[in-house]
Amino acid sequence: MQALLSFENTPPFAAPLRFFVTAPLFAVLAGLLLLLEGPALFASRWMPATLAATHLMTVGFMLQVMLGALIQILPVVAGANLKRPLLIATILHLGLSIGALLLAGGFYLGQPLLLSAAALLLAATVLVFLVATTLALIGVPSTSPTIRGLKLALFGLFGVVALGAVMAFALAHGWALPLPVLTDLHAGWGLGGWAGVLLAAIAYVVVPMFQLTPGYPAKPSWWFPLAMLSLLLLWSAAVFFDLSALIRLCQGLAAIVGIAFAGLTLRLQQQRRRARADATYHYWQLGLTASIFALLMLLTAALWPAATDSAGWTLLFGILLVGGGFLPFIVGMLYKIVPFLAWTHLQNQGQAKVPAPSMNKILADTDMQRQMIAYAAALALLLAAVFFPDWLARPAGLGFALASGWLWFNLFGAIRRYRQFGRDIQVKLAAKLAGSK
Amino acid sequence: MSHPKTPHVVDARFMEPPEPFVKTMEMLDLLKDGEKMLLLLYREPHPLYKVLKQNGHAYETELMPDGTYEILIWP
Repeated sequence: MQALLSFENTPPFAAPLRFFVTAPLFAVLAGLLLLLEGPALFASRWMPATLAATHLMTVGFMLQVMLGALIQILPVVAGANLKRPLLIATILHLGLSIGALLLAGGFYLGQPLLLSAAALLLAATVLVFLVATTLALIGVPSTSPTIRGLKLALFGLFGVVALGAVMAFALAHGWALPLPVLTDLHAGWGLGGWAGVLLAAIAYVVVPMFQLTPGYPAKPSWWFPLAMLSLLLLWSAAVFFDLSALIRLCQGLAAIVGIAFAGLTLRLQQQRRRARADATYHYWQLGLTASIFALLMLLTAALWPAATDSAGWTLLFGILLVGGGFLPFIVGMLYKIVPFLAWTHLQNQGQAKVPAPSMNKILADTDMQRQMIAYAAALALLLAAVFFPDWLARPAGLGFALASGWLWFNLFGAIRRYRQFGRDIQVKLAAKLAGSK
Repeated sequence: MSHPKTPHVVDARFMEPPEPFVKTMEMLDLLKDGEKMLLLLYREPHPLYKVLKQNGHAYETELMPDGTYEILIWP
């Protein structure tokens, strides 16, 4: 029976792990950059350091974990197997890590050469991922909203990276492009078309599975990814034809679609059957609440564009959606996925003769809860720093670096204990086999 | 629990992994010739599908409006 639990073709643990322990270091870097730059980083969204910090979070942290996790879960949620997952993982991990550093360095130092190199490397890396996943997904019918969502999210990833690469080249070589409008569109494709659609596709599976909630109703699950991608295509067309009213309409509708998804998830969480609220639950509650506030800001700006003229509006929106929304969703999932994968691999190593230790022994809930509180405090400081940058920018940077470092420490500790337990199991197994001879 | 499709039902909708998998395998062992079983889940169990195929079982999945996947399995 237990042998059946080991699914052949499941990627080795090392494939996704490297992404998970590298990602928090980029969040630490973003925090340190804020500590170094202080209030200047809050002066405008166009400051070199602000663009650098943003991409340390989105490419260095978010994209890193998302691609790493997909290598692991495509077989589980879609029945699709990547060929040579370890090789793909090595290429992606190197390309993303170096690419994120080059990109942040290019923005921060205003170096055209770094920006161009980053654009080339990141585009090539993501292309490798897109080709590998497309090959894996070809012939997999869209039997569930998750599979269709995943396919559409890949399209969103193509959109955000293609736009980003063009803008990086434009910035590096002084091409005449309407960068502010394109930046909004790039953020829309990244956070809505890619991250948002991917989050939904994965949430359909992991929210009921890990938090023991009812399932997502079928109809909205089918429609959410399609609605979001359609709005982004329309938004892109509106940018192309310079129709600002249509751009605002698309932004407003995307906000409403996002709020509907977050609201539905909150309602499902309220009906959960798990008695105890764990760190993942709290992280998701934080993420859902912050996302709803961020999307309400987007909706307000769509209805009343003058709102974005007020100081700090866009920064507040960005911190709420990325630092308050997506990062908590991702960390919440990491806190389930890492102990669960470690436990599964240990279970397999024991060959049904030596039991694996409980997941709580691999990563204790109290450690995760404490880190979560530190993260929430750092987020509160970041938000307050938008209003009082002179006082709070540096403390917020330090707080964010510390909370992210703590995340790294927790994940790294889990891996260390996993290896120790693995060695213990080998010893016990050898003793049992010797005894049964 | 019974169901219009078959009396042999594993309702795994609020179970944590790997319990749905284990319960399904246990019930499959108990099925007599010609009997079918039904697994209820809030996700498509692709790893289980693979094992079912390897063991020569057939299955049929239907997504219900409330998000439940009804997976009918027979030997």
